[in-house]
Amino acid sequence: MDGANGEEFAVGCILAIETTLGDEFEGQIITYDRPSNILVLQEGATKAGTGRNLRLLKANYIKDFTLLGRGEDPLDLKKCYVDLPSIQAREEAALRQAEVEAERIGIGVTSEAQSIYDALSKTLPVYWDKTVIVVMKEVRVCSPYLPENVSGGTPAANERVKKVLELERKRLQVRSPGQF
Amino acid sequence: MNLQQAVPPRSSANGFGRRRVDRETGARMDDNRMHSGKPTSPNFGLANGSKVGGVAGPSHDRLIYIMTCLVGQRVEVLVKNGSIISGIFHSANADKDFGVVLKMAQVIKDGSIKGQKPFNDTVKKPQTMIIPSRELVHILAKDASLSSDDGHAREKRNDLLIDSVISHPHHVEVERELERWIPDEDVPACSELENIFDGTWSRKWDQFETNETLFGVKSTFNEELYTTKLEKGPQMRELEIEASRIAREIEGEETHDHHLAEERGIYFHEDFDLDEESRYSAVRREADGGRYEENENSFLDAHNMETFGDSFGSAVSRSYSEVLSKQVSSESLASSTCLSADEDSQIPADKDAHVSGFTDHVTWPSSDSLVKSSLFMDEKNRLDDKMTKDQDAEKILLNECRDRIISEEAQTSKSEDVHPSTHLKGLSPSAVTYDPPSSDQINKCPAGESSDSAISGKLTSANEAVNTSLRPGCSTSSTSEHVGSGSVSGGPLSPSSSVGSLSSEKSTLNPNAKEFKLNPNAKSFMPSASLRQHTPASDGSFYYANNISAAPHMHGISMGIGIGPTFGGHHPVVYSPQAAPLQSPQAYIHPNGPLYGQQMILGQPRPLYYMPTYPAEMPYKGRNF
Repeated sequence: MDGANGEEFAVGCILAIETTLGDEFEGQIITYDRPSNILVLQEGATKAGTGRNLRLLKANYIKDFTLLGRGEDPLDLKKCYVDLPSIQAREEAALRQAEVEAERIGIGVTSEAQSIYDALSKTLPVYWDKTVIVVMKEVRVCSPYLPENVSGGTPAANERVKKVLELERKRLQVRSPGQF
Repeated sequence: MNLQQAVPPRSSANGFGRRRVDRETGARMDDNRMHSGKPTSPNFGLANGSKVGGVAGPSHDRLIYIMTCLVGQRVEVLVKNGSIISGIFHSANADKDFGVVLKMAQVIKDGSIKGQKPFNDTVKKPQTMIIPSRELVHILAKDASLSSDDGHAREKRNDLLIDSVISHPHHVEVERELERWIPDEDVPACSELENIFDGTWSRKWDQFETNETLFGVKSTFNEELYTTKLEKGPQMRELEIEASRIAREIEGEETHDHHLAEERGIYFHEDFDLDEESRYSAVRREADGGRYEENENSFLDAHNMETFGDSFGSAVSRSYSEVLSKQVSSESLASSTCLSADEDSQIPADKDAHVSGFTDHVTWPSSDSLVKSSLFMDEKNRLDDKMTKDQDAEKILLNECRDRIISEEAQTSKSEDVHPSTHLKGLSPSAVTYDPPSSDQINKCPAGESSDSAISGKLTSANEAVNTSLRPGCSTSSTSEHVGSGSVSGGPLSPSSSVGSLSSEKSTLNPNAKEFKLNPNAKSFMPSASLRQHTPASDGSFYYANNISAAPHMHGISMGIGIGPTFGGHHPVVYSPQAAPLQSPQAYIHPNGPLYGQQMILGQPRPLYYMPTYPAEMPYKGRNF
């Protein structure tokens, strides 16, 4: 184990740490758990408000650290109450949200396809059917998602999807040349 | 144990070394299998976490606390090979090793492959991932909330859907950097577009013709459908010339309105201070009539400056002051400083008195024929005719009146301006409206020559009233020039010319404002509720509901009844149509005051007028009709 283990980390100290992977960050120690060898740091120590980054770092990855200063205990022990139900609710909400977002991701599709899907979804109702993009429930666009792959639906809808697809492809080409 | 349940058995931890989903679906299936057995609810057994080793109680507790706080939040886990997995923190094993479980997790940065994400990297569906302790390097929770309070607040904040949340910006790719458009080299045709409208009215280009040529579109446009048909007769040419002249005059006028100036191509030298916003977008706020005043003031000042130079103003002002102090009767002074114009009828009466008074005091130079005060009375009638005053005439008068100060009834005097009018002229209340002379006439100033009689007043014995008295309310002309007549150095001034401005110093009063005269017939102003309590009803009107007036003899009482509920909350808003406007509005009722006591005042059933007085700080912006 590297030397980090043998040190006593005092709560509230502000450290600048460099990891073995090359990452560097600063933060204020919230706690250090010896059994699991986890150091909990709070970054953005000077920032007010609730938006601070929290880092749980495995101490054995610490290559080097510098003590920048000492601060107060960032955790106000009087306020440390855990509201389990609300946390549960929060998690559920987050999961739901993530699921919704995941819907838009095709399974086993290329990222090019995913980009096209995202572009189409901006203006048209789309969903995945395996690796086929289904637009407006009627028009299907299959791999490799070129205008000629557009099939189905009324002629008008078909035309519209073709056009949108062309334009989106052009735009994607401009943004990331060489990929499309 | 609870803890263990959440985490797959250690033995299979190795199997989860592949927590990073491979391209192959096989691994994915393994993961799926594994996580299906997990309970969806977070495992809060952590809170009961065993204290391995016994020591580090408080520290461990803190860790547990933090981990609990993190549940449900999105975290990024950095693993040994450099990959970053993002997911929702579900649970962790706080025992000896620190393995975490992330739900809906996916690899967002692949550490094993250096460089960009491969082109044909397939997109993975997020799933639950377990990161064993030995793979774990760190867990990063962005914007983590550590206390329950914060969490609630944040959740409440998240409940407010903002546009960016709704539109899912993370789906949108970043737009490219915008560059300013630079026309290409080989775009020659566009040059035509620039000068096609150079001529303000180029009759050479017919849009309909062009359209038809280019696109074959036949137009049915008939200009006369939308505008008056021009009679193209023999007079046409002359009319056109006249119209152009007038147009030129107008466009050439000096203006201090920045927008107008810009249109006309006049650029102020101080314009650099104005940024785009004040030039094109901001609302310019000035007092009522202030715009006119400002324009006129500056306009006249400009003229004055042009003709007399800078020193003139001060000189005249000084002389004004002197004379004023000597001669001005309180009335005239008051009136002179009073910038509000009054009804015409009032003015002449006052002025006449003043004028006659003045003539006693002042010996006015009569360079030319100056109309005597006796004639003044007649002027009133003629005043309506006096309209325009040419600039040259003004100049003449100014020159002559230079030494004279004309104290004039206020009406016409515009206190701010230093007006060269030194000649006391009979006030012509009906005022001669002074139209701002066109600029091209400014310099025409034949000395000693009486230009329009109308203008110079003194000039002709025609008793043309000097139009110096300018009705301030009349807008355009203003002030002062009043000058009108007056030969400063000359002989006795004829009071026929009305004198304009008195004080040379600028005052804050608005010379164009009409003098406030109580109009008993005016509609009452309904103040806001906040004013209601404090305004004693002075004479004014006050409207009450229809039903109240139905019982005449019970007037007072019904008033009371009606008023109580009606006006308890706010002022009456219903006007009783059957009530005739009150001629002498002395009756008033305080809505909150004792009503019965004032029955006597009410007398006949008639509408009571209630006009609240305004707090001092509230300027009366209404109009008296």
